[in-house]
Amino acid sequence: MSNPSLSVSGAAKAAPANPARPTMRRRSKRMKAALPYLLVAPAVIYLMLITLYPGVYAIIQSFHEVKFGPWRPVGLANYEKLLTDYQFWGALWNTFVIGSISLILQCVLALALAFYAYRDPWVKGWRIIFLVPMLFMPSAVAFIYKLFFLDGRVFADLLMKIGLIDGNIAFQSSTWMSRGILILADVWQWTPFLFIIFVAGLQGQDEEVEEAARLDGASWYAIFWNISLPMMKPIIAVALILRAIDITTMFTNVFIITKGGPAFGTETISYFIYRTGFKFFNFGYASAASVIMLIITIVIAQLVVKRAFVSSRS
Amino acid sequence: MARIELKDIQKSWGAVKGVSDVNIDIEDEEFIVFLGPSGCGKTTTMRMIAGLEDPSEGAIVMDGETMNEIDARDRDVAMVFQGYALYPNMTIYENIRFPLRMRGVPKDQHDAKVRRAAEFVELTDYLDRKPGALSGGQRQRAALARAIVRQPQVFLMDEPLSNLDAKLRQAMRVQIKHIQRELKITTVYVTHDQIEAMTLADRIVIMEKGAIQQIGTPDQIYNDPANTFVAAFIGSPPMNLVEGTLEGGVFRAPGIAVENLSTRHSGQVTLGVRPEDCTVTGIPTHLSGTVYGVEPTGDVTYLTVKAGDKLIEVKADRDYRATLNTPETVTFDLTRIYLFDTATGQRLR
Amino acid sequence: MASQRKKSKGENLALRYLILGGWALFCLAPVLWFLSIGLRPRTEIITPQPIYFPSFSLDAWHMIWSDWPMGQYLRNSVAAIIGSVIIDLVLAIPAAYSLSRFTYKGREDIGFYILSTRMMAPAIVAVPIFFLFRNLGLLDTIWALMLIYAAINLSFVTWIIRSYMLDIPKELEDAAKTDGAGELRILWEIIIPAILPGIITASVIAMIFAINEFLFTLLIASTPDAYTMSVALSNFTGGSDGVIYNAIALVAFLAFVPVFLVVVAIQKHLSRGLTMGAVKG
Repeated sequence: MSNPSLSVSGAAKAAPANPARPTMRRRSKRMKAALPYLLVAPAVIYLMLITLYPGVYAIIQSFHEVKFGPWRPVGLANYEKLLTDYQFWGALWNTFVIGSISLILQCVLALALAFYAYRDPWVKGWRIIFLVPMLFMPSAVAFIYKLFFLDGRVFADLLMKIGLIDGNIAFQSSTWMSRGILILADVWQWTPFLFIIFVAGLQGQDEEVEEAARLDGASWYAIFWNISLPMMKPIIAVALILRAIDITTMFTNVFIITKGGPAFGTETISYFIYRTGFKFFNFGYASAASVIMLIITIVIAQLVVKRAFVSSRS
Repeated sequence: MARIELKDIQKSWGAVKGVSDVNIDIEDEEFIVFLGPSGCGKTTTMRMIAGLEDPSEGAIVMDGETMNEIDARDRDVAMVFQGYALYPNMTIYENIRFPLRMRGVPKDQHDAKVRRAAEFVELTDYLDRKPGALSGGQRQRAALARAIVRQPQVFLMDEPLSNLDAKLRQAMRVQIKHIQRELKITTVYVTHDQIEAMTLADRIVIMEKGAIQQIGTPDQIYNDPANTFVAAFIGSPPMNLVEGTLEGGVFRAPGIAVENLSTRHSGQVTLGVRPEDCTVTGIPTHLSGTVYGVEPTGDVTYLTVKAGDKLIEVKADRDYRATLNTPETVTFDLTRIYLFDTATGQRLR
Repeated sequence: MASQRKKSKGENLALRYLILGGWALFCLAPVLWFLSIGLRPRTEIITPQPIYFPSFSLDAWHMIWSDWPMGQYLRNSVAAIIGSVIIDLVLAIPAAYSLSRFTYKGREDIGFYILSTRMMAPAIVAVPIFFLFRNLGLLDTIWALMLIYAAINLSFVTWIIRSYMLDIPKELEDAAKTDGAGELRILWEIIIPAILPGIITASVIAMIFAINEFLFTLLIASTPDAYTMSVALSNFTGGSDGVIYNAIALVAFLAFVPVFLVVVAIQKHLSRGLTMGAVKG
């Protein structure tokens, strides 16, 4: 302790001038203030290119008739037509119905599974198994369900084997059965998403609170309903919002399994825009629908998402 | 190596006042301790010296040069943090070397300097480890080594010992003081622990609510407190403060009467007396009350007496024992009695 | 009392394993069945009566490599995805640094704008993006895919990294400043190494989303030059042959296995990544 100390103070004398001292910089305040903006700018500019630019483009295009030739201004005609287009309203309704049923099912199932799994000694194993559907490409999942219900008729055959029905089921001619397939495929693939998050939320909560409740004589169910669930509210909200965003943009399954049929009964808003634009090349009309969707998105984002996300975290 | 002057420093965030009217001259090679409860502005003041926080008003001057406009990275100060702030991804060696690299010290000097600093804090065996693999005390010493390696003008230490257990804290205190004396580097040390302040400091700056309450040597602070805040903050157990009335050199409060006080003041005053300046006598003199509690600690016994509705702490003999609620009398050392203005809290001299 | 306790606990366990086991079966059965589709001859897939015990065949395996440029699809996928993740990291790390370590006017709004781009339905911007890439001459190239995947994932990646950066104690940064480091140095030498798990998590999740992306790829890619695994699947539906399910199944597993392995490796961080940091798993 005493010996090396001498050498340090000796070294200080040997090299007295600190190299930083003479080059002291007085950095300009303006440069300092600009730095955080400069750091975030590239990302913001990039995102503007793929959101603001298309947004503006879509707004302009929505006032035109754009088929194969040059753009022809038509004023509000596209919007007027949309308001009375039963297919557009149908697509909104389908998106809502399929989306909300699917979301509610996923949420209930994921909560139940998380409730049973999070205290289980093999929770890691369950997580890995339950994750499997989520890690398949959505297009592959769509084909699994298309083959199982429609092309391969495996489902109907299995029901016949156990004697529940005695003929084929015409899924393709029933709106509700077609919607059911879309819902089932979504539930199968995405319940794990919520499950993973809910388990993490339940594991992350304060054990002492749970132990105190147990000493007070509460059952597991009572603890779950009265303590765990209320504490998980913010997590549930964030998870459901993320899921809701993806469900309302549902496209792949519709494109592969039902093509929107029968009679547009499973056509979602994304598929409607795709069909209008890229199948019928009615780009102006598709853009008008996009603009309406955009407005709905912005309103929901400001009202719901901002509250749930930003406020809960900053 | 450096003199630091803080001139009329103010710091506020919007309407919130953090620090006001701070004026301190810190001498070269001085060890100065900022002492106060949490939120008193001591850490903020230190961070302004470091350049991590800009003062709203006032000047920070080092060796005659105003530092306000100069970035933390360009001030020649080294800081030791409460949580040590070791870079978790680097080995201890790399941690200690980091300031040398950042300040452009020639590469060929690095190894020798790092090793000397490590020897200095007895950490040479741990240079290849990551901070996560060290104990609290070792991390603390690594942080010290990182601060001393480049021979800064000023050391700043922000509650560096508060995460250590009591025994280690005592040992590190001695080491820090030794290092400071050896290297002769001006040091500013922030703590809320009065023992650290008393043992380490050349001078103590006591702060409360963003303002300086008193600046002085440990002896001055202890023996000559400027106000009730300082009086109550320093000393363990703290000074007894009793509100009462003073008239013609006689102080009265329920159960307490002190005569023959040589003072020209009168009116509502607060009388202060330290537990160690009280004795249990058995004959009624200054205080008569009832025994409220007795706490033997081994080398001394603390007696709490209830006088009126006030509890008075007395440092009694190690074999003093008493039964609860029995009458007891206490005598004060009249040469060590302090009087304060009850309204302002200021000392009456 | 004690026996009652035990009894109720036993009931609980049986129900627990019934439910968890049941869901595990529900998860895995379709997958295994689909694997059996991939390993059977085409003639045994779509039949008047479903065949539950098919003969084993590697027809599909040979087909995807010989009849289709699967190697190229794979290369396209890998190139577009890796490129997009690199773009994301280059843009997101400084942005997240700015959003997490500085206080300035408009920070919350900028952060929310970045987040909100995640809410855009791909279909909304599909038409303009299609024209944008056509005008840039990028249609049917992996460059376009790279750019669009990067854009889709940028909000996610930024917010995940931001969340990890918020966990780094401010002290560490202050220490580096007094040691003489500037802001960019601190980012490069202190913060990035400290949040490596977060960066890896963000990259993995970005990769998964990029592999899954379907609509844009469908619009942008029209020849094998830019086909990826995901869209190549819909290729097997073409023509007079109908849907070539066994090839689809094998391609699906080909994409699944690496994704699965990577995700198992980062399992601990997954819940945090999926919620952009809202849940600390």
